[in-house]
Amino acid sequence: MSVDTATATAPASATTAERQDVAAPSDRARAWLVLLLAGAFEVGYALAVGGSEGFTVLSWSLVAVVFFLLTLYALSVALRTIDVGIGYAVWAGIGAVGAALLSPVVFDETLSAAKALWLAVIIAGVVWLKLADRPERPDDSDRAAHPAHP
Amino acid sequence: MHWLHLALAVVFEIAVALSAGKAQGFTRPAWTTATLVSGGVATYLLSRALLTFDVGVGYALWTSVAGVGIVVLGAGLFGQRLGWRKLLGIAAVIAGVVGLQLSGAA
Repeated sequence: MSVDTATATAPASATTAERQDVAAPSDRARAWLVLLLAGAFEVGYALAVGGSEGFTVLSWSLVAVVFFLLTLYALSVALRTIDVGIGYAVWAGIGAVGAALLSPVVFDETLSAAKALWLAVIIAGVVWLKLADRPERPDDSDRAAHPAHP
Repeated sequence: MHWLHLALAVVFEIAVALSAGKAQGFTRPAWTTATLVSGGVATYLLSRALLTFDVGVGYALWTSVAGVGIVVLGAGLFGQRLGWRKLLGIAAVIAGVVGLQLSGAA
């Protein structure tokens, strides 16, 4: 909320003219909860796909299909409210970090320091990429250039 | 062979992202079907790749390289701007993949 001193003499009614269409706080909280769930489903999907052994193990294969549908559905619901770039970034980040941390727990794998380091670089890269892959917001730079308090 | 499976899985994951975008919240049947079919193929190919790759490593490679592919394709086909932010992200993913490979972790 910034007040331009040049328009301070304008009628008070003008200040309410430009109100953004923002979802109610409870809707946003719910969307974020669904997004976190989608991330958790994506971790489950990654682990189940690995456990399916090329879809030769029936139980893991079925779990993989269920998680695939769940993660897709939850993500699409969350992205109705949350910005697509931010939503994808959080979802992809949770999925990749979760899979990297949990696959050594679930399977006979090790997470060496070198592996963890390079995985962190890759995951940071893709999260950054998802965040960068959205329309520029000119009002953000404008706000930074013109602080609210003169 | 596992790199080939992973590469093909990446191609189909890019197809998932493109068709999911056109499915508009899964309200358009044709694009929704395309999303599910390419997702199924991508998942199968990923599972073949994960026979050799560690799950965490293979999954991260798959999702990240697909992410790079989506952005590069967006610039090549749909004329989206490839600014320094995106190039930095692409560089980080490439550096990570090369680093994993050189350290023998992949």
